[in-house]
Amino acid sequence: MSFLTPLFFLGVAALAAPVLVHLVRRTRARRVQFPALVFVRQVPQRTIRRRTLHNLLLLLLRCLAILLIVIAFTRPFFSGGSAAKDNTAAGATVILIDNSLSMRREGMFAEAQRRAETALDDARNDEQIALVSFDKRYTVLNRFIADKNRVRLGISGLSAGWDGTDYEQALRGAESLLGEIETTGPKRIVMISDFQMPGWTAASATFKLSNNTQLTTLDVGGNNPPPNVAITNVEARGVVFGQKYLDNLVVHVSNFSDTPKDHIQVDFQINEQTVEKRDISLNSRGSRVVEFTGFNLNEGANRCTIDIVAGDFAPDNRFYFTLRRETPKQALIIEGASRGRSDSLHLQSALTTNDDLPFTFALKSAGSVDPASISDYALVVLNDAGPISSALADTLAKFVNAGGQMIVSTGPHTQAESFNASLQTIAPATLREAVQTKAGESVAITEVKFDHPIFEVFQESGRLAAANVIGYFRSEPRANTTVLARFEDGSPALVEGRTGKGRVLLFTSSLGPSWNDLPLTPLYLPFIHQMVRYAGTREENAWYGLGQTFTVGKRQEQAPPAIDTPGGARLSENRSTPDGDLLVTAREPGFYRLRYNSQPDFAAVNIDGAEGDFTKLNFAEFAAGVTGGAGSAEGAAANRNLSDEQVEGRQRVWWSLLLVALLLLLAESFLARRTKMVKMIG
Amino acid sequence: MTPGTTATRFLDPELLARVGSLELLARAVVEGFMSGLHRSPFTGFSTEFTEYRQYNAGDDLRYLDWRLLARTDRYFIKKYRADTNTQCHLLVDTSASMNYAHESSVTKLQYAQFLAASLAYLLNRQQDAVGLVAFADKVHTHVPARNRTGHMRTIFGNLSMLEAGGETHLAESLHQLAEILTRRGIVVIISDFYDQAERLQEAFQHLRFKGHDLVAFHVLDQNELDFNFSEPVLLLEDAETQEQMPVLPDVVMSGYRERMRQHVEDMRRCAAANHVDYEMLTTKQPLDFALFSFLSRRAGK
Repeated sequence: MSFLTPLFFLGVAALAAPVLVHLVRRTRARRVQFPALVFVRQVPQRTIRRRTLHNLLLLLLRCLAILLIVIAFTRPFFSGGSAAKDNTAAGATVILIDNSLSMRREGMFAEAQRRAETALDDARNDEQIALVSFDKRYTVLNRFIADKNRVRLGISGLSAGWDGTDYEQALRGAESLLGEIETTGPKRIVMISDFQMPGWTAASATFKLSNNTQLTTLDVGGNNPPPNVAITNVEARGVVFGQKYLDNLVVHVSNFSDTPKDHIQVDFQINEQTVEKRDISLNSRGSRVVEFTGFNLNEGANRCTIDIVAGDFAPDNRFYFTLRRETPKQALIIEGASRGRSDSLHLQSALTTNDDLPFTFALKSAGSVDPASISDYALVVLNDAGPISSALADTLAKFVNAGGQMIVSTGPHTQAESFNASLQTIAPATLREAVQTKAGESVAITEVKFDHPIFEVFQESGRLAAANVIGYFRSEPRANTTVLARFEDGSPALVEGRTGKGRVLLFTSSLGPSWNDLPLTPLYLPFIHQMVRYAGTREENAWYGLGQTFTVGKRQEQAPPAIDTPGGARLSENRSTPDGDLLVTAREPGFYRLRYNSQPDFAAVNIDGAEGDFTKLNFAEFAAGVTGGAGSAEGAAANRNLSDEQVEGRQRVWWSLLLVALLLLLAESFLARRTKMVKMIG
Repeated sequence: MTPGTTATRFLDPELLARVGSLELLARAVVEGFMSGLHRSPFTGFSTEFTEYRQYNAGDDLRYLDWRLLARTDRYFIKKYRADTNTQCHLLVDTSASMNYAHESSVTKLQYAQFLAASLAYLLNRQQDAVGLVAFADKVHTHVPARNRTGHMRTIFGNLSMLEAGGETHLAESLHQLAEILTRRGIVVIISDFYDQAERLQEAFQHLRFKGHDLVAFHVLDQNELDFNFSEPVLLLEDAETQEQMPVLPDVVMSGYRERMRQHVEDMRRCAAANHVDYEMLTTKQPLDFALFSFLSRRAGK
């Protein structure tokens, strides 16, 4: 037991008060000579003895009450280690050691190990002990054993990792583990961590420990977390097709301290060459966005880093990501037999105004397409092509099944019966009748799924509804397809369907101006670009978070490449997808080198930026959240040694002591009244 | 004469305590008592000649005046005034316990002194020989019984010099006195009688066996009967042994009173069994009450 304000022990001197009262009363007791003491002596002394006992009891009650009040004022609290030994029966204990990234701070993890060993020493020899490390996940290192040496070996073999922190997950795991063991003794969880705020939030907390589980928290983070500036995120498009990166590369930098930070240098490097440096200032607890754009990229994978020079916790001062510049693939636009001006003029124009599209387009009429050449393309746009040959239809079906992408639009040349017959296996919807609005009337595109990648750019403007559609096909979507947009009458406007490995987008109006004025509006270009990008681009992350799993494909090679970890070790994971792609779980930050024979590639992995926020979590909320509140059962009380004030505040032993003292005083009052306040001399 | 008169008020022990001389005190106390109500157990003859009378047959020839016979040839018997009609010993307990007085200026010993002085004066006034014995753990003062001029001053002088002290061994002292007082007479015992009734009974029997007529004045302070203290707690100290004892008066009062009542009752029974005139007096009671009680009891003897 420790005391927050031990000076109050001087109040023990107040114990002299009742003793003095008794002594004073004793001196005041008149000495009287009395001749007939022989008869007094014959009076049964039981009453007197009982009175004496009463008075001694009164003295004891008063002394005890004063002592309890004094102890209450010293604000005692139980440290976690000793609490573990209070119970008499051997129970089960789960030692949870935080090995998240924040525990990499200097000396912190060694302290955590030391505290774990202390907790281990404090445990009974017959205590069943399990050892669990946790960050965002938890790893059971030892299931319940009564062999302290083995547990100690497990503790010494631990080291801090790179991942973020999730206390709730760890507690869930620990309680689940405790549920596996049958014991009559107490069940305890000893959690050793730096208890940083990002690891637990009251708003999202859904888990509470059961009442018969004791939680002891041992804080190794100290009361004053050090200031820290961290790069918390980088927003970048992982794959580009032009030499210049035209989007905004957005870097988020956060100051996790209460003091402003000036002159923080942000260094952007590509392939270890500095591209640009910025000097920024951060308010206390503030964040700043730094944007880079217009820089050149080499062909293939470019290893990019953002560094800040802040002189604090190093792991979160560097952010890794890759920007891959790829060569656009071939795409084919198939239109109907045209007489004169091509129906695909607007479409073709839209697709050639941007050199950052994943495709280069060729235009052919349906009749001139050699079905055998379809496989040379990655994307086929069937733009109101009219009836197509069965050979082409078969080829397109095979193309899609093999993973090809298709965009299909209708128009005046499209005949529903022929369309349905030719593309029945791959079209996401069956066309019905064509609808032509009355002269001067039009319908709008509504019910748009703005969360879809094609439409997300329109989410804020909402101007897609401004397009006037005068003609379209009513259609009936097939099973397992998604309607991304509808016309006013509810008829699907854009339907997405998957067939085999490929994907088909069906626009039931025209991509030219025949049936709508979309090509004449500013909406057309982004709509077409987004559709093409979606259809033709494989999602490529610029970076992965720690713990995320990414796939490493075989590409044109026979087998997946060998992979080197950021630390230089050869990755030994051999999990793979049914297609033979490797599944790699990111375990450490940096660049994973993918050793393709043709050209090496990289996958960037970063830590959780929030892990750099060392702010202490709110223990009161935490205790209330995971144990059911400060007023929960004693056994579920959460102790911690981080901050004595917090531990004391959580335990509130003084409250109980004062309550007991009050009860004692009440008992004293009752007893004193019964004995007529008579005090017995010693 | 009964208590409650003006004279009685004058005989209030506390007022008497202001009187410096025991003799004066005794005279004041006895004033008003007409004469002794008892008669002497002996037909006594002293050496002090008073008159002649005619010889009658059967008179003791030792008292025949032979010179007068020779000179006048007539038979006369010389008559002498007797020194006393009877012999009375006043036994005063001077043990430390007699020094007790609660809320009163008169201790039990003082009361005993007043009573003894008054009795001595009274007895002397009716020509009885009065002796004084003072004892505590043993007899320490013994004035043999006399009825001479100036003897009262001896009695009063010794009485006034008595001081309380020592333990009481009442029964032993009475046994001792029974051996000392060889001549039969009245033995007046003034004590608080803190001894076992059985042992006292034996002592009384011893004195009675020696032919003494016993009068017992049981002198107590009123508080010895009531045990009435205002303090919630007292440290009682035995006056004789100095033994101390913490006492809660409200707790022990009833038990004590019962035992004291039992003791007085035992004493009364013991006295009655041995034909001892027993009177219990408290130091607040007027002395004439004691004298009246004494004389009235002696009236039938």
